[in-house]
Amino acid sequence: MSDAPVVLTRDVRRDYHMGDEIVHAVRGVSLEVARGDYVAIVGPSGCGKSTLLNLIGGIDRPTAGSVTVDGNRVDAMRDAAATRFRLLSIGFVFQRFYLMPALTAAENVELPMAEAGLSTARRMERARDLLAYVGLADRRKHRPAQLSGGEQQRVAIARALANSPKLLLADEPTGELDAKTGAEMIDLLGRVNRDGTTVVVVTHDEDLARAARRVVHMRDGHVVDDHRQNGR
Amino acid sequence: MFAALLAAVALQQIDSLPAHRAPRTVVVDERLAADAGVKLGDQLIVSRTPGGAGDTVVVSAFMRRRADPSEVARAEYRVRMHLGELQSLIDYGDRMDRFALLSHPEQREGSALPSLTDSAIRRINGAAFGFQAHRSRDIAVETSQTFLVVSRFHRAIGVITIVASAIFLLCIMLLKVDERRRDVAALRLMGISAQSITRSVMVEASVVAVVGSVVGLLIGWIATLIINWHYRGVYRTPLAFALVTPQIAFFAMTLSLVLGLLAGYVAARRLVSMPPLELLTGRRDDRPSVAAAH
Amino acid sequence: MLFRLAWATLARHRARTLLAMLGVAVSAAMLLDMVMLSSGMRSSFKNLLLARGFQIRLAPKGTLPLDTDATIGNAAEIASALRAMPDVAAVSPVLGGQLHVPRDGRTVTATALGGDAQWQGDYEITDGREPRAPDEIATSDDFLRAANLRVGDTLSAAAGYDPQLRAFSGMRRLRIVGRAHFLYMAAEQRAVALPLATLQAMQGEAARDRVSFFMVRARQGASVDSVLRRIELAVPKVSAISTESAIRQVDQRLSYFRQLAFILGTVSLAVGFLLVTTLVTVSVNERLGEIVVMRAIGVARGRVVSQIVLEGTAIMLAGAVAGLGLGLLTARYLNSILASFPGLPASIDFFLFEPRDAWAALGMLVAAGILAGIYPSWRGASVPIAMTLREEAVG
Repeated sequence: MSDAPVVLTRDVRRDYHMGDEIVHAVRGVSLEVARGDYVAIVGPSGCGKSTLLNLIGGIDRPTAGSVTVDGNRVDAMRDAAATRFRLLSIGFVFQRFYLMPALTAAENVELPMAEAGLSTARRMERARDLLAYVGLADRRKHRPAQLSGGEQQRVAIARALANSPKLLLADEPTGELDAKTGAEMIDLLGRVNRDGTTVVVVTHDEDLARAARRVVHMRDGHVVDDHRQNGR
Repeated sequence: MFAALLAAVALQQIDSLPAHRAPRTVVVDERLAADAGVKLGDQLIVSRTPGGAGDTVVVSAFMRRRADPSEVARAEYRVRMHLGELQSLIDYGDRMDRFALLSHPEQREGSALPSLTDSAIRRINGAAFGFQAHRSRDIAVETSQTFLVVSRFHRAIGVITIVASAIFLLCIMLLKVDERRRDVAALRLMGISAQSITRSVMVEASVVAVVGSVVGLLIGWIATLIINWHYRGVYRTPLAFALVTPQIAFFAMTLSLVLGLLAGYVAARRLVSMPPLELLTGRRDDRPSVAAAH
Repeated sequence: MLFRLAWATLARHRARTLLAMLGVAVSAAMLLDMVMLSSGMRSSFKNLLLARGFQIRLAPKGTLPLDTDATIGNAAEIASALRAMPDVAAVSPVLGGQLHVPRDGRTVTATALGGDAQWQGDYEITDGREPRAPDEIATSDDFLRAANLRVGDTLSAAAGYDPQLRAFSGMRRLRIVGRAHFLYMAAEQRAVALPLATLQAMQGEAARDRVSFFMVRARQGASVDSVLRRIELAVPKVSAISTESAIRQVDQRLSYFRQLAFILGTVSLAVGFLLVTTLVTVSVNERLGEIVVMRAIGVARGRVVSQIVLEGTAIMLAGAVAGLGLGLLTARYLNSILASFPGLPASIDFFLFEPRDAWAALGMLVAAGILAGIYPSWRGASVPIAMTLREEAVG
């Protein structure tokens, strides 16, 4: 692993206004994620882990503090720049998959590549490769409604890898899957990490947390524990 | 006779009268008075041809044009003169263009009227030599042909508008009901029957239809006021161009209610005919869905 | 990919998409019809007035040609004076009247036009030739049918009829030498054309050297307005009307239809706009999750907006094309209604199709479609990503 961290947050805070109340979702979290690492952020519901993930991914802005991804201050970017940065450098996987229901599996994977300007031939070829990588070579032409939950999540991972991102962020990727399918997903994420992509997952799933090399515990917006495991 | 006079009226205000004859009076169209700056008491010369010799007359009154559709688009002016004077002015001798007959007031009531008028017409036509009697109503129908055409045109436009509105309503209802497919799915999964849901959507549709109909009627009524105000000014006529009668209001409200309810019913039935899980997940097949099971 | 996603999204909700297109098609048809109506009458009337190349009409002062019974005296002198003007190419004097033809115990009455066959501009011969000799006449097909006559037959016709004495006046025998299509007559109107001098003689002393109006053709390249002004100075007892001012007068009389066209056209456009904007709004609300995910995975906001706007525009465009055909059909139907105006020349069309009308309507609809999609799509593409994802997860 190279020295410069892929993710660097410094005293990052995020507050929300809920009516008259202010909710402090993230309270001064400083975190570094090294290149090639596999980090699981765990904690009870409402501890701020998903919010922290969103801040790292640039889809939310911190109230205070800084967020740097691959040397770029994502918290300081304007919307268009942040969007472009996400397209080329960060891959997202969501709990509810969020595939485009009107497109086929292959077209869903092609979507970020089309936005990045790849030629039709190139992105079709890469989509085919990525779907084969996630074990869905024969399901390219199926629409999400024709795929199981696990298959949809695989397509979502393939889509997230479309533009060879430096960082893969996954928010409860096994949240809507059964145990067997969840286990397959854990294996796949492990493989993605072993193949060189830095992975940060937010999860309630103990099995997924165990598969990571480093676990960060959060509670009430703070990091309460941060340790390496499995001798890594 | 009138046409000849209209072509020939020359307006001229003079200061002195020939001593041997006191001028007769005329009644002048208020449009003519406004356009030519004629005032009550003004003396004018009316002649058969422009610039020709004529008679001196005094303006004794102004008249308002009748609300006659056949006169609307015509920009001509009118004057009313003493019969003998006009006949002599245009060398008409003892001739008339037409007579109008008014029946006795007591004969207007009851069912006796039609047969009395018919028998009068028969007697006149039997005795007439060179002319014919007609019901005023029949004449009005003949001269209103232009506006019958306009009415037919309006009706055709109305039909097209109704068709467009029906499609529009159906589309909007479909969209609004579709928007709540997840809510409907949740209700169905809870055990609420399709009929209950349909009824609920119909109630909603009927409220929207009633409120919409009332608002539409109000807008239509305001529009008729604007239309009448505008075209009365353009054509300078007291004619009413647009009317909202109780029958029209009833028809419009009933039609919009029916269309609204129909659209709501179709949209609701479409939604409840789909299995709840399909509504929720968008899946059409019956493969077990792990995601949906959660 | 933008087109693919827009198409796929529309195809996913086929019923709603088709219904929206149908709604737009009806709006588009109405809009096209109104565009045609607003310019059709004017174009049609102008074409009719210029059918035989006469740009100026002279009528008794303060009247329009054949609007009243008034006539112009000293017609021969006036015609000579007009022909002597350097910029005048042709002068056609016309006397209007009626001809009564007793046939088989009944009387067939026709509108009569007395004119100069060499210069006339009121009819086109469809069979035979123009009437040149004093005892010749050309008639419309409707007259021939009503009177049960043919070209070559001879008839007795009178110019006057006294209903009290039930007596004809100005009776003459005339030979039918041609069948004609009368340009300014209403459909099914019986009409005849005969030499001016013949009709004047038949109408008696009152019509001697009198005409109802003149038609004047200016020389090529001459200014119609200056010819008109010269005529008005030379002949003060007539009103000289150019084609343009005649059109303006007709415009004024038929301004109701232009205003109706404008109002209905605007309403149609507004309805189409509302339909598309509602459709796009509901579509955006339904897939807010998809939209924010597109933004989350790096699709630019402008691209997201473009894709959604494209959906609305596609519906408008498809509906507009379908509406074009529908509009032409409804225009024919509406035209057939208005064509039955009493006294309206059969050649007048209220709904005249010109390609520029179709382009105008299409352009307006496409612009409306784009505008209709902009606000809801921009709103949808601007929602905060994280908050929306959270709400979608909870929902």
